[in-house]
Amino acid sequence: MAISENASLSVSGPPDPSASFPKDIYASTLPPAPLIKIRASKKWSTIELKEIWAHRELLYFLVWRDLKVRYKQTVLGASWIILQPLLMTLVFAVFLGKIARVPSGSVPYVLFLYAGLLPWTFFTNAVSSSSHSLIASAQMITKVYFPRSMVPLAAVLVRLSDLIVASVVLGMLMLYYGQPFTRAILLAPFFIFQLTLLALGMGLWFAALNVKYRDIGTVLPVLLQLWLFASPVIYPASLVPDNWKWAYQLNPLTGIIGGFRASLLNLPFDWRTLLISFSITLVLLVYSTFVFKRMEDEFPDVV
Amino acid sequence: MRPIVSVRNLSKTYDVGQLRNSSPTLREAIVGAINSPLSYLHHRRNGAGKPLRALQDVSFEVEPGEVVGIIGRNGAGKSTLLKILARIVKPSAGEVDIYGRVGSLLQVGTGFHPDLSGRENIFLNGAILGMKKNEIRRNFDEIVAFAEVDRFLDMPVKYYSSGMYLRLAFAIAAHLEPEVLLLDEVLAVGDESFQKKCRARIKAVSRDGRTIFFVSHNMKAIESLCGRVLLIRSGVLYEGADPKSTINEYLYEVAAADECNGASTPGAAHSLESRDRFRFQTL
Repeated sequence: MAISENASLSVSGPPDPSASFPKDIYASTLPPAPLIKIRASKKWSTIELKEIWAHRELLYFLVWRDLKVRYKQTVLGASWIILQPLLMTLVFAVFLGKIARVPSGSVPYVLFLYAGLLPWTFFTNAVSSSSHSLIASAQMITKVYFPRSMVPLAAVLVRLSDLIVASVVLGMLMLYYGQPFTRAILLAPFFIFQLTLLALGMGLWFAALNVKYRDIGTVLPVLLQLWLFASPVIYPASLVPDNWKWAYQLNPLTGIIGGFRASLLNLPFDWRTLLISFSITLVLLVYSTFVFKRMEDEFPDVV
Repeated sequence: MRPIVSVRNLSKTYDVGQLRNSSPTLREAIVGAINSPLSYLHHRRNGAGKPLRALQDVSFEVEPGEVVGIIGRNGAGKSTLLKILARIVKPSAGEVDIYGRVGSLLQVGTGFHPDLSGRENIFLNGAILGMKKNEIRRNFDEIVAFAEVDRFLDMPVKYYSSGMYLRLAFAIAAHLEPEVLLLDEVLAVGDESFQKKCRARIKAVSRDGRTIFFVSHNMKAIESLCGRVLLIRSGVLYEGADPKSTINEYLYEVAAADECNGASTPGAAHSLESRDRFRFQTL
């Protein structure tokens, strides 16, 4: 072999103990079963959690990258995370609270609004950034292997960290309006968890579709805008007429946002809606993982 | 000796009809013709849905420590083979078993972010290439020394010269520690002295007993680095008795093709994006 003849080459790094010994070391330590098995794609398969776990450090770095870059590029940096839901609250508070006089029950409208816009902002940002994430990482996808689902997953996690920061303002508003902190608040993280699953489900689905049909990127903002008005974010669910209640409950955000708000502002829970919402969230998530996995193999060709 | 990589009856077919709608609407047809006239024409001439065979029934085994050169004309299927081994593309049929971790370097600087500093990009790119955090930390000083960028470590890489950028990117990749390493044309970067350094590094890696797959059009590099050479011709594997005869086979093939086509354009074909690359060959 030509290689071992060139032992005189200078190479940076630790000196080589010997040029001839090591090949057998690797040979004798070969694992009994292959670490990697490459097979033709199956028709029905879903995202492998084991693979994502194996690549968890990359997931961490993808989230870390997005956070780092954001603080470097924008002047206001982190403050946008707080400003976005706050400014929206201000706008809606003036137009809907003062002018249209939307009822919000026993709670001040501003507090009611922020408790809805906080999860909504997370949801809409998470869905739109994860939907674009695959196209944005086209270069990586065609050059390196890693579970592709991690790209939209990282996008959702970045937005989740925004939500955590922005919820400090919610605490401040509650203090300002003298809203008592009750034990129900312990349920709030559960609704955020469910919302994350829903955002991930929609994100995976749209991300996969967006690779193939770029129109999705254009349609999505409109769709999300409609979704805002179809959910109890800026008005209470009680405004929806009774004969439309069933359809309204099919929107998983009805349960999640209603539940999140109820847990914070000590309002009664609508258990039936919560149960429907949770089931639909799970179905959507499972469905989208299958869609994603099925389209995953085509990404390098299409992207 | 047991093989570390075993490839059995590997095939990859691209369904052209799937990539380009088999009955395109007017809008799609116009957009398609504008975007990629070459593939559009080809598609028209061959009819929709005719499968393209990028790889056909490829089988081989590689033992630990071998440096395997993969050669072939543009569009022969070299990159497809490498991408399957790297798990970027799934095969249409056949099996591959790999008894070790795989690191792929199909392009230097994959996932580099221009706004992040050199230091940050070392960690990011290392993670993308499959290194563990402590692995990167352990090799950090060595990577910086290899790339010769220590003074610019905390500067965003968008301010790097292209030479610095490539050196850093290669330095990270050169410190990958998988048992199987896939390299595609990476030696085409940098000046002569840096290329020399890269070649030395590849030799050092193989001396550690790691297995390397190396795609290149540079026959000199292939000859000096590889103990074994595989030639791919229109998706079919050929291996001569020894590296030298396989390389000669390839050179003969290229010369024959040049005679047929007159001024054939390997340079132009090279600049096409990889998807069009294998089509070009059948045009």
